[in-house]
Amino acid sequence: MFLIFKRMWQVNWAEQWQYRANLFMYVLYWIVQPVIYIAVWTSIANAQGSVKGLSANDFVTYYMAMLIVDQVTSEIVVYNFAHKIQDGTLSGEIIRPIHPILTNALTNNIAFKALTTLVLLPVWVMLWLLYTPIFASTSWVNILLSIPTLIIGFFINFLLSSAIVCVAFWTQRVWALYRLYGIPVALFSGQFVPLQLMPKVIQDISVYLPFQLFKYFPTQLILGKLSGTQILQGYTMDIIWLFIAFVIFRWTWANGIKQFSAVGA
Amino acid sequence: MNFLRLISTFIKVNLQMSLAYRSEAVIEVLLDLTWLAWELLSLQIIFSNTVSLGGWGKGELIALLGVLMLVNTFLAMFIWPNTEKFNASIRDGSFDYVLLQPVNSMFLVTFSRITVWRIFDLLVSATLIIVGININGDVIAPLNIFIFILLAISGSLVIYSLWIVLIAFTFWFTKFDNNITILQALTDTGRYPATVYPWWLRVIVTFVIPIALATTIPVQALRGDLSTSQIFIFFGISFISLIIASQVWRVGVKRYSGASS
Repeated sequence: MFLIFKRMWQVNWAEQWQYRANLFMYVLYWIVQPVIYIAVWTSIANAQGSVKGLSANDFVTYYMAMLIVDQVTSEIVVYNFAHKIQDGTLSGEIIRPIHPILTNALTNNIAFKALTTLVLLPVWVMLWLLYTPIFASTSWVNILLSIPTLIIGFFINFLLSSAIVCVAFWTQRVWALYRLYGIPVALFSGQFVPLQLMPKVIQDISVYLPFQLFKYFPTQLILGKLSGTQILQGYTMDIIWLFIAFVIFRWTWANGIKQFSAVGA
Repeated sequence: MNFLRLISTFIKVNLQMSLAYRSEAVIEVLLDLTWLAWELLSLQIIFSNTVSLGGWGKGELIALLGVLMLVNTFLAMFIWPNTEKFNASIRDGSFDYVLLQPVNSMFLVTFSRITVWRIFDLLVSATLIIVGININGDVIAPLNIFIFILLAISGSLVIYSLWIVLIAFTFWFTKFDNNITILQALTDTGRYPATVYPWWLRVIVTFVIPIALATTIPVQALRGDLSTSQIFIFFGISFISLIIASQVWRVGVKRYSGASS
């Protein structure tokens, strides 16, 4: 198994490396949104001192930590896998004795991340110099504690998105579905504002949904804003949702693959 | 006259093509409306925590959202589909046939694909602009409305010119098929007034990737923030950028050598 992943890594790294010229474009995509949010909320916080107890510095640290969290937990499975179902290139992969999504697509995701990290890091340092945020309550303990939840968060996101991609076995409209998936993510993940600024209903619901597990929870954990019980609660949700995401993914894959008739083959 | 006839033909052809994908259009419209609901909610969240954003009120931000949607509609109707077609035509060499036709190639590249059903989005954005202005309760002089429309058009022309330059780069670097990503990445900045951004981002969205010229600036005209000389400068910018773009296009087309030959 280790050998398989090693080989997969070599292939996928080489594949992603071809596109290195596009890297700056991708990174631009990612930083525009946090930079806009930082601008909006610091402007409000500076005008009135604070927003519900959050200072300008709180917003800068929130979005900058989120940038790193997002880098770890985001996935590109829709971009690198959905077309294989639709154009039939998947046929070549399913005859191999390994799972196409859990090996090939997964390592491709990780290779992509590894490569973009090389560009994101200098950009992040630049932002840090521009905004000079103070990460006052971030400690090494917080950072170490956040590593498992970042990894679990990535897998929850990856498995849920893969389940959506598997819907491509039944319909051509995966992209529409993926755009629709963006709505609950925007509402419940905390990517727009720290969840405590959201309406109470949304806050209450979001605790039980998986979306904050790959954005808000790790971010707040890194920033040192969570109490012991909150961390424990977050990890419990992590494990529950990792399990649910895996079951959903397994189901859509197992049933979807039966529908597959390899268009064009 | 000839151009108008061609455009109406293009509209007819594209309408027929999109009729084959009716349900696609309905789904897209529904998705757009869902996302619009989210946009409005996010404005609600911002304004439940403050009364103004960089001196702008809630109504003005709704109007700005309408203007951004207008720009996005323009991009989705013409720019994105035509980019796709253009990039494919460079890759497979079918751009030869565009050059062979007795019409200006820049015109053909701009209008040959039109996503007709996006007209629906125009209605939504017009509604947002009108509702936004009314929420704010401003009394707006008819002259300002006129200037607003002209500035929105001239701002869009600047974005259009930038697009022509970006895709014309493909004549020099053939493997440049994410030529428009930079434009896509920055359209989001039009959602909030450029005046709240840090100076470096303001410079980028005003002069480099001039999204603000088509979003913030026209709404500023509605608010009466702009002086007469500023307004004329913006018209000038749009005029000059169009000239530059058509020149770059002319030089670029000469470098085109065809993918097959």
